[in-house]
Amino acid sequence: MSELWDVLVRHFPQFRSGFLVTLRLVAISFVVAMVAGTLVGALRAASSRWLRWIGAVYVEFFRNIPLLVLIFIAFLGLRGAGIRVGPWAAGTASLGLYTGAYVAEAIRSGVFSVGSGQVEAGLSLGLTYRGVLRRIVLPQAVRTVIPPLGNLTIAMIKNSAIVGASLLAIPDLLKEARVINNDTFQTTETFFWAAVGYLILTVSATVAVRFLERRLAVRR
Amino acid sequence: MRRIRVLLAVAAAFGLVAAACGSDQPSGQESPTSPVERPEFPAGSLAADIVERGEIVIGVKFDVPPFGFKNPQTDEVEGFDVDLGRHVADALGVEPSFVEAISDNRIPFLKDGTVDLILSTMTITTDRDAEIDFSEPYYIAHGRVLVREDSDITGIDDLAGRKVCTVTGSTYEGAVEEQAPEADTQLVDTYSECLSLIQTEAVEAVVTDDVILTGMIIQDPTLKLVGEEITVEPYGAGIKQGETELQDFVDEVIGAVKDDGRWADMFDTWIGQYTGESQDPPTMTLEEALELRPCEETC
Repeated sequence: MSELWDVLVRHFPQFRSGFLVTLRLVAISFVVAMVAGTLVGALRAASSRWLRWIGAVYVEFFRNIPLLVLIFIAFLGLRGAGIRVGPWAAGTASLGLYTGAYVAEAIRSGVFSVGSGQVEAGLSLGLTYRGVLRRIVLPQAVRTVIPPLGNLTIAMIKNSAIVGASLLAIPDLLKEARVINNDTFQTTETFFWAAVGYLILTVSATVAVRFLERRLAVRR
Repeated sequence: MRRIRVLLAVAAAFGLVAAACGSDQPSGQESPTSPVERPEFPAGSLAADIVERGEIVIGVKFDVPPFGFKNPQTDEVEGFDVDLGRHVADALGVEPSFVEAISDNRIPFLKDGTVDLILSTMTITTDRDAEIDFSEPYYIAHGRVLVREDSDITGIDDLAGRKVCTVTGSTYEGAVEEQAPEADTQLVDTYSECLSLIQTEAVEAVVTDDVILTGMIIQDPTLKLVGEEITVEPYGAGIKQGETELQDFVDEVIGAVKDDGRWADMFDTWIGQYTGESQDPPTMTLEEALELRPCEETC
């Protein structure tokens, strides 16, 4: 038991540094995912066939390529072609755009859950299609969409470990844990605390989602 | 790309010739092998288990020429470490089976029995000795700094503020921190990833053993070594802790290989022909190697 605390106490600065890097990675990727996902979700629900097609291509591309492959493409591929992306740019873009594809799908289903009768009613009241989206569809869709978005955020927090394990050399929580493990050889204890670190993030996300769900409860 | 393939084909050709000549009986100019007596290993020991299985599983690097790398032409792994592993297997009278062991997982693999022996460019340190047992040193490498040919870096002192790549679980995590504390260390899983990073200019230098860096230069001649030797890295074979019969046997094999000229052949095949130098087999003892790297953490 004392070994468990020993590892944490002796290596706390490293654990903390890794935790903060993971937090930063997740925060930036979250913003990228939400922005990209909302835009693409709107594209998918657009009236123009070409816009819908662009959205579909985005979703199919990012959903069907493994995250680690994306990271290699984003970093080595682009750099090999002469485009100077840095590790953080490649990591947050990969994680954000990848998660964004799932966000787009969640938003699309949320938008479609709003009855089309409301869209027609809005249009007949003289609103533009964009106005209908903004004032009628999206506010309702958002409430439906919060729980799946919560799940996607948790998935993204866990996927951030893949970014850390890759050749981007971002010193996140997992990477710090591996360094500590190589120094101490106390594998179980070290990764226990790494798991606790990720749990703190995922449980916080869950709590935030529940809070938002209650605040925005659908009142029919 | 084509140049790399040509170089690897040349290396493969040399390797095949050396392998064909090295393990057979003397064919004129090759040195005679001094057979090591295989004792009866006590029941229950790992060595006895290996003999019974007829196979020894050896953890080697798969991407670190010239010590352990997969030849793309033959899809077989080869190198200095691999040859030494074959000598051990021959002496035991068993078949060798090679598994990839990167710096990060080789010790866990040894401890949980995934591999029976590690020959993975592994430096002898007291911290590692607390977890596993080592053989006598079978090669002495030295730490160097690798940069691109147009770099202005001339040695370890120029690394302040620059991005430097090395591998998690290697002795260089600490060495770079000690000797270049201002450097921005990027840790990755394998040396081939470090090579990709320096080739795409994501890092400015790679710090690791000179032989590993030479292997990178063979693949990409636009890279160069700079500066002095920064560390001494005695390589030892890794054996599971407590398996003294196997440890003693491996020591005997290593000693025989050094004495009867097979070490010199392996050196010429894998290293000498690229560096143009020759070297004598190391005489450093395990105790001396351990003294070079005293306890830091686990002991």
